[in-house]
Amino acid sequence: MASLRELQGAFAAALRDPAAACAVLPPANMSVYRNNASVTFRETLAHTFPVVHRRVGDDYFRQLAVLYRAGFPSSSGDLHGFGRDFPAFLAEYLDGGDYAWLADLARLEWLRAECSVEKTVSALGAEALGNYASAELERLEFALQPSLRLHSSSYPVFTVWQANQSENASPVDQSTGNEQGMVLARDDGPELASLAPRLFSFLSALQSRATLGDAMTTAGFGEQELLEALAFLFRQGMVCGLSVRAPA
Amino acid sequence: MSHLDTGANLEPIPARAGIGFRAAHHEALLAELPPVGFIEAHTENYFHEGGAAVRALLRARANYALSLHGVGLGLGSADGVDREHLARVRRAVQRFEPALISEHACWGHAGGEYFNDLLPLPYTEEAARVLARQVSETQDFLGRQLLIENVSAYVTFADSQLTEWDFLGEVVARSGCGLLLDVNNVYVSAGNLGLDARAFIAGLPRAAVREIHLAGHARNGAVLIDNHGSPVCEAVWDLYCHAIARFGPVPTLIEWDTDIPPLATLVAESARADQLLKDCRGLAA
Repeated sequence: MASLRELQGAFAAALRDPAAACAVLPPANMSVYRNNASVTFRETLAHTFPVVHRRVGDDYFRQLAVLYRAGFPSSSGDLHGFGRDFPAFLAEYLDGGDYAWLADLARLEWLRAECSVEKTVSALGAEALGNYASAELERLEFALQPSLRLHSSSYPVFTVWQANQSENASPVDQSTGNEQGMVLARDDGPELASLAPRLFSFLSALQSRATLGDAMTTAGFGEQELLEALAFLFRQGMVCGLSVRAPA
Repeated sequence: MSHLDTGANLEPIPARAGIGFRAAHHEALLAELPPVGFIEAHTENYFHEGGAAVRALLRARANYALSLHGVGLGLGSADGVDREHLARVRRAVQRFEPALISEHACWGHAGGEYFNDLLPLPYTEEAARVLARQVSETQDFLGRQLLIENVSAYVTFADSQLTEWDFLGEVVARSGCGLLLDVNNVYVSAGNLGLDARAFIAGLPRAAVREIHLAGHARNGAVLIDNHGSPVCEAVWDLYCHAIARFGPVPTLIEWDTDIPPLATLVAESARADQLLKDCRGLAA
């Protein structure tokens, strides 16, 4: 008699290939399991990438889901991570074509999916800066909300995402150029917003634990711009912690 | 076999009808707090630290007894159980303190690929040993008893030696787990594979059944499909009456996962199960 491992291996092969031998009865009903798997994966992908789905339509999305699953089969009993490689798959599949921007849109939607299950930490108010001496301010490091995701694209993907929150949205002119922005958890779901390039650079630097002084230099901020950026961070509830880096 | 915490020291789940805790109903359930006996949530949906679903369950948990129902461990997989997945189940159990914890008598992965489906096991002595061992290890890791659910099947393995009910009985005897009897799954499998649904129920170890599931199914040609997308059909209600006559009044869940109706429809289905449980208690008195 075949071992359990052999029986499950044959069943798995028959799920991938209808022509593979598998000693089950009635054999025709294996199609139910094959269909279950393809529908589950496609629906999971469509749930995670609703705007990509909307832009390409049902038929093309179905083809993409089949190709993606063939290259990136599920590696977990938890489906929440199933779309992780979809942006990279699209980038390779659409490389250089007119629809290459869809990969960047997918990256934004994956960041949104990640953000939607992150915890939100109590935010500090701007008055927390008052706890530090003037000389310490440039060596301040910021702990930002764990849900904050930053995304920079060569395409106007934030505009595409926003425009496609309703059906029958008009196509966005991709030649309008690059966009940068953020995704941040709110009580009613992730919020997406595009950011000015220098504010994006400033936030990126702080998120990678640059000091306030270094982030200011990276962004090319003057004093007034710095004050406005800090007011934005605190107003958005992004700052969860402050600490002073020891002098080098 | 070590003594397993059955969860009875937590707020126990009453022998009443409950409903699945699904995202489409979070808002309405928390606003209306309908008089259902308990709620059941899919464990994998609460693996993350934050998010709307986690916040909703934490709020609901303050008002309802909870059952956590897993779909992703693949406890009968010959390749073993994913330890990382199991650790996340334990984290969810510690965080939400469910009175019942359940999974399925199935497998779901082979050769590193996950099919994310409840795949049927061959009913062999080896499969019973593997499933019982992995159920035991899971129970030891969680420090809690598991309930194992019979799955809907569309095929049976030519190599099967045991009936499904004897197979489940052997897993119970070897591991000390309980059973979650899905009456709709019995009906669907019986229809698809030519089994006797009443013999299935008669063959299960009586004291092991600690929860029952009810759901709707669809018909696709000659095949019954377990889609949880419609009301419980009359034949399944009849089989349910037969089951509680044998097992007594046990917590009963109405599952509805596709084409989800308004909350009131689900609550009405649970009220029907509640009445049958009440009648069952009356007969036993």
